[in-house]
Amino acid sequence: MAASTEIRVLPAQKNAWDFTFAFWALRLWLGARALFVGIQKFAAYKSVAQPLIDPSTGQPDASGVMVNVSVKSYAFANYAGIPTALRDKFAHDPLLPKFALTAFDHILGPAFLLAGIMLILGLGTRLSLVIQGVLFIALTIGLILIDQNDGVAYLGIHIGLVAAAFMLAQHNRFAVLKKW
Amino acid sequence: MVDTLNRRDFIGATAVAGAAMLLEACKSDSGAQTAAVKKSSLNTINVALVGYGEEGKVLLESLLNIEGIRLVALCDIWDYHRGEGQRYLEKLGNEVRAYENYEDLLAKEKDLQAVIVATPDFWHAPMTNTCLKAGLHVYCEKMMSNTIDGARSMVKTMRDTGKLLQIGHQRRSNPRYLFTLNRLLHEAQFCGRLTAVNGQWNRAVKEDFGWPKKYEMPASMLAKYGYKDMHQFRNWRWFKGLGGGPLSDLGAHQIDIFNWWLGVTPKSVVASGGLDYFKNHDWYDNAMVIYEYPLEQGVARAFYQVQTTTSAGGGYYEMFMGDDGTIKMSEDPSICAIYREARANAVSWDDLVQKGYVAAKPVAATDATKVDVRETAQLAEYEIPVFFNKPPHQPHLENFFNAIRGTAKLNCPADEAFTSEYVIHKANEAVAAENKLHITNEEVKA
Repeated sequence: MAASTEIRVLPAQKNAWDFTFAFWALRLWLGARALFVGIQKFAAYKSVAQPLIDPSTGQPDASGVMVNVSVKSYAFANYAGIPTALRDKFAHDPLLPKFALTAFDHILGPAFLLAGIMLILGLGTRLSLVIQGVLFIALTIGLILIDQNDGVAYLGIHIGLVAAAFMLAQHNRFAVLKKW
Repeated sequence: MVDTLNRRDFIGATAVAGAAMLLEACKSDSGAQTAAVKKSSLNTINVALVGYGEEGKVLLESLLNIEGIRLVALCDIWDYHRGEGQRYLEKLGNEVRAYENYEDLLAKEKDLQAVIVATPDFWHAPMTNTCLKAGLHVYCEKMMSNTIDGARSMVKTMRDTGKLLQIGHQRRSNPRYLFTLNRLLHEAQFCGRLTAVNGQWNRAVKEDFGWPKKYEMPASMLAKYGYKDMHQFRNWRWFKGLGGGPLSDLGAHQIDIFNWWLGVTPKSVVASGGLDYFKNHDWYDNAMVIYEYPLEQGVARAFYQVQTTTSAGGGYYEMFMGDDGTIKMSEDPSICAIYREARANAVSWDDLVQKGYVAAKPVAATDATKVDVRETAQLAEYEIPVFFNKPPHQPHLENFFNAIRGTAKLNCPADEAFTSEYVIHKANEAVAAENKLHITNEEVKA
């Protein structure tokens, strides 16, 4: 009878891998979340006029009418850290000085991009979690000031996930830079 | 919060982008206008514009956008307008020969294929008939004539000469009107049974047109061309024997839509109106008209009003009302809307939305508190999201030129326009008669 090739995993090791997988799940989720939030800051919808298509023929409608189709594009010129509608609300809050608002608007997108890339690559995992935590807290304060309580609760979920990630960070593996 | 921050306030951005695109699309191709003059052909049509007043200027702007059209001559009896037009065209690199008299123009311009007539109504019939007889195709502004006989003579000449005669009811070539008629009213049948039509064009009090004193025409010239004085020349629309008053000036466009969309002419007209406001005009400044249209499913009544009052009150539109829904149509897209009755189930509105034919209004209709138990529920409101990016008259002119090239059929040939305009003349008659006038199928035919 051939010798068994089964790898015996000790209970303690098995438990450690569970924690590692749990952290990876959080690391990738939070990393992707931050990365694409940052990317979305460079997105804009533009209206493009196109002929109305007759569904029965697939050809432009005989009348010659046009319709506007919304097309999404990405460009540095599109960048808006804080959307105009919210920025106007923040601008009217006496606790938010204009310079702080402008600075936050400029750094929000790049900061999310940086935090996302760092977390996915494992490049200063804890540091990237700190950046995300600070950004979520800053956004929470902003929403409290403009009475957007639904958004505050929504951000609370994100903060919970960041906290859970900190608790599991000791089980991190496959990181470019384990320090920090 | 993250999602909230991701959202762009893109409505404003798209509006700006859309406006920019419209402006771009509306730019005229000045390069085409500077091309060397060549012998006219079916590819390049040589055109003369007769009449460079308010309407002539509007038509010229559209004309300059159309490829393959070369404006070679301009005619206006007033040197002030004639010079203005010539200088404007010169700036665009489009030199034209200018004439005071249309008969001189016809005698000297030997390489013309078409003439656009945008003169006062009472000149339409003689000018159009002469141009047709000279072998030219004619685009003539509405009304065809200030008299029924004049209009009838134009149809006869069109038939005798075999030349094309398009009448300037420009909504008949408007892509939005064509789309709404064909896709929504006919194909989707979403009005259900049409029971009523309502149209209006009220306008605020406006000063009569004036003129620079140094450009005043001599009395002899005014008399030669049929005017009593400069005031009458500049404000001909208000004078009997020259124009047809507001019912003809404004109402003609919209009553023409009644006839076109309903597909029949009315069997009667009753009207009330009068010269109530202005003291120095001939024609009624207020008029209310009711037509009875014999539709297959029963009579539909159409009300039209043109009043000298505030221009508030919904602007200018034609509203087709059925038992399932209503279409409110206007040359101004912002006024257009469609309304769906709660009982309407013959049409799949989701299907229409999916096809892009209609779009729900951003603000949904709410159930307002009823003041009276007999009130019906507030309707769901939709908009017609289609548009076209050209000046309103351009598609109609394009249709005319395409018909000359043999690639299209006229959207408003003189015989069809006559039928429609006949009932407009009858509305003015009904105001004068102060009673109901009956209209037979025979009399509306040219």
